[in-house]
Amino acid sequence: MKFSINTSPLMKRVIFVLIIFGIFTALKPEFATYASILSIVQGIVFVGISSTFLTLLIASGEFDISIGAVTALSAIVGGMLATHLHVNMFLCFCASILVGVVVGLINALVVLYGNVPSFIATIAMLFIARSLADFISQSEPILNFPQPWHGFKDSFIGNYFSIFIFAILVILAEILLNHTNFGKVAASIGSNKEAARIAGVNVNRVKTILFVLTGAGAALSGYVADIYFSSSRTSLGSGWELLAIAGLVIGGNSLFGGRGTVLGLVLGILLMQIVATGMVISNINQWWQTVITGVVVLISLGVDKKRKKVFVHG
Amino acid sequence: MDSIEVNSYALEMSHISKSFGRVQALDDVSLKITQGSIHGLIGQNGAGKSTLMKILSGFYPDGSFDGTITLAGKEVQLRSPRDAQNFGIAIVPQEITVAGTLTVAENILLSELVTKSIKFFSKRKSESKVQTFLDSNHIPLDSSQLADSLTLPQKQILMIASALYAQPKVLVLDEPTSSLTADEIETLFAMVRSLKDRGFTTVFITHKLSEIVDLCDEVSILRDGRVAYECKRQDFDTDILVENMIGRSLGDLYPMKNELDPNAEILLRVKDLIVENPRQPGEKILDEFSFELRAGEILGLGGLLGSGRTEILKALYRDNKILSGEVELSGDKSFGRSTPKVLQAGICYITEDRKAEGLFFNLPIRPNLTAKILNSCKKWIFLDRKAEKTLANESSQALDVKPSDVETFIGNLSGGNQQKVLIGKGLLTKPTILMLDEPTKGVDIASKAEIYQIVHSLAEQGVGIILVSSEFPELLELSHRVLVFSGGKLQGEMIGKIENEHDLMLMSIGGK
Repeated sequence: MKFSINTSPLMKRVIFVLIIFGIFTALKPEFATYASILSIVQGIVFVGISSTFLTLLIASGEFDISIGAVTALSAIVGGMLATHLHVNMFLCFCASILVGVVVGLINALVVLYGNVPSFIATIAMLFIARSLADFISQSEPILNFPQPWHGFKDSFIGNYFSIFIFAILVILAEILLNHTNFGKVAASIGSNKEAARIAGVNVNRVKTILFVLTGAGAALSGYVADIYFSSSRTSLGSGWELLAIAGLVIGGNSLFGGRGTVLGLVLGILLMQIVATGMVISNINQWWQTVITGVVVLISLGVDKKRKKVFVHG
Repeated sequence: MDSIEVNSYALEMSHISKSFGRVQALDDVSLKITQGSIHGLIGQNGAGKSTLMKILSGFYPDGSFDGTITLAGKEVQLRSPRDAQNFGIAIVPQEITVAGTLTVAENILLSELVTKSIKFFSKRKSESKVQTFLDSNHIPLDSSQLADSLTLPQKQILMIASALYAQPKVLVLDEPTSSLTADEIETLFAMVRSLKDRGFTTVFITHKLSEIVDLCDEVSILRDGRVAYECKRQDFDTDILVENMIGRSLGDLYPMKNELDPNAEILLRVKDLIVENPRQPGEKILDEFSFELRAGEILGLGGLLGSGRTEILKALYRDNKILSGEVELSGDKSFGRSTPKVLQAGICYITEDRKAEGLFFNLPIRPNLTAKILNSCKKWIFLDRKAEKTLANESSQALDVKPSDVETFIGNLSGGNQQKVLIGKGLLTKPTILMLDEPTKGVDIASKAEIYQIVHSLAEQGVGIILVSSEFPELLELSHRVLVFSGGKLQGEMIGKIENEHDLMLMSIGGK
């Protein structure tokens, strides 16, 4: 594979995703149908919404492993309110988001003021959020959502609702990260905390905002999932933290912070979803599927060999 | 107070005192910086320079110290770093602190980007804005370049440019030359002078006297938390400056050389040694050479940077490959083929790079000192903490490491004290041969004198010492003999006396 020097790193990734897509289409032509593409996109929406703001948090040099668990907790809280207390959809939305905001604040508090590495603090939060979700729902799936939820889901908007939310969120986050002063400040913290501090950046304030945004994003994913499935389960979002990390890295993000690309994250998780779906459709032995996914992840990292040096988004 | 007099100072710090617990870091320090001048602030590590600057930068806020700060005639209270910036004080720290993944433009604009509201950031616009600023100030940087891709001095210049962008009233450069080469220092000086021509006031902090003499219009010397001396350029006198800096005259910097006993035992005999070039495996770095080292002898290895001196020491320490030749320790040719064996046989190497391969910066003094001798403080299979602590304390006291608490972290020590710990770690192995590689690199002058004394007394006790130093006076004053390496071979040998400095330089550049 030879790309011209001027091809941007993001473009290289787009081309790589298209090539992988092309390979599966060649194997099974029905892979390129509208229905199949829609199901692939639908397959990344929830993990995508959950991890969009994580990109910004990681750019600032912190981590949040708890995103998937927070998505589950928010979905369960929204579901319980809707089914048991018959709270209306808007108040359920507020409650779900509040869950994410509170978790984000606690994460920020523990990491920034308790001096616990964010990796550890948010692993703890992962366990706490997931068992809270189990406790609240008594580990039972919530299925009997009242009417407005079903009605919304079955409408035309309902079908594309989640994709629409995801797209808006990605655009917002990408602009915030790479085209505003706030994003530059966040990246400067991840790049060199001391340099940021000297420039007058209130490091803890910016990071607190990012922890809260990340929590709220993960919670939003839970609420949108409530609407989309008209049900909620505590197993929602398990393993998403690893998917998100892989997606971020494939997409050209640095886990050490200092820069970030939300579009890259989308490409990364899209690539993994294409590979996963493609292998199911091509009837590849399921024992091999995980192995092949791993190999594709490694290959995709080689697409842009100098990515660490060259890649600056924007 | 005469108001005209006051207004001619850009910055005054009056009667500043600050203590940490029982330690008086600053004791009634008063500093007057003339408007439009380059003011040198000099002092050894631990003299109080950084504490003073942390007060000036708002890091230690108003109220945590005694005294007043006056900017252009007006008294100010600095409660935070942000406050200091707003009042026009810009401090460029000693360590390179740039956001590497951001562009030059983004780095320079960073403090402007810190606002409560969210604004759009245009890459193109900001780059052209910054480029205009750079060009009009004759700063040779490209605003669109990534900070990570800059060279070290360029990063230094970037930091100064960022500070200048805010149009500060006082620019403070904290030891800006510590990581620069001679050429790069000249570039930096030219820039500071051009700032002066345009009316900027600069405070230049350093512990190198020559830089003060080269650059500054006035100087204040800090020693032990007090202003020891201050004067204007026309009264600069190197001897007086040095005396005030170290608190005594330079005469006794080097100890008297001990008489070498011609019948002393030959400790080390190196014969036809060929040493590998670690950057080109299989290739030799020097032609074959031979030498002998006697007990109590200080043998200097002279030459320029890159002449292979470090590689020789490392080869003897078995940390670098020996291609051919013989090394004989007290008559034993097979004393060791690996570093641990060599160490056991009594040869110790003390590295020139204490950051990368010398010390554990994340650990306190104690484990650093005892790292090589943990085997000797064992109780059955367990570490005997008491014995370890006793050994560490003894060693720290013998070397006069400050602070004396061996649980202090290495990172909090001055360069000189770090170096003493590094040497102490080697000495605890009770070597018969000690190889010192640039033992006074990045060390202030008082610690230098102490290290010379240590080397001297070791030699008196009969330890054979091989010394590598790029400072010719140091090499000649300490060594009995100096072997000079240049042009890929051993050029010759000379007596260690300061009168030979010229010859040593000539031989080092291969001119003889």
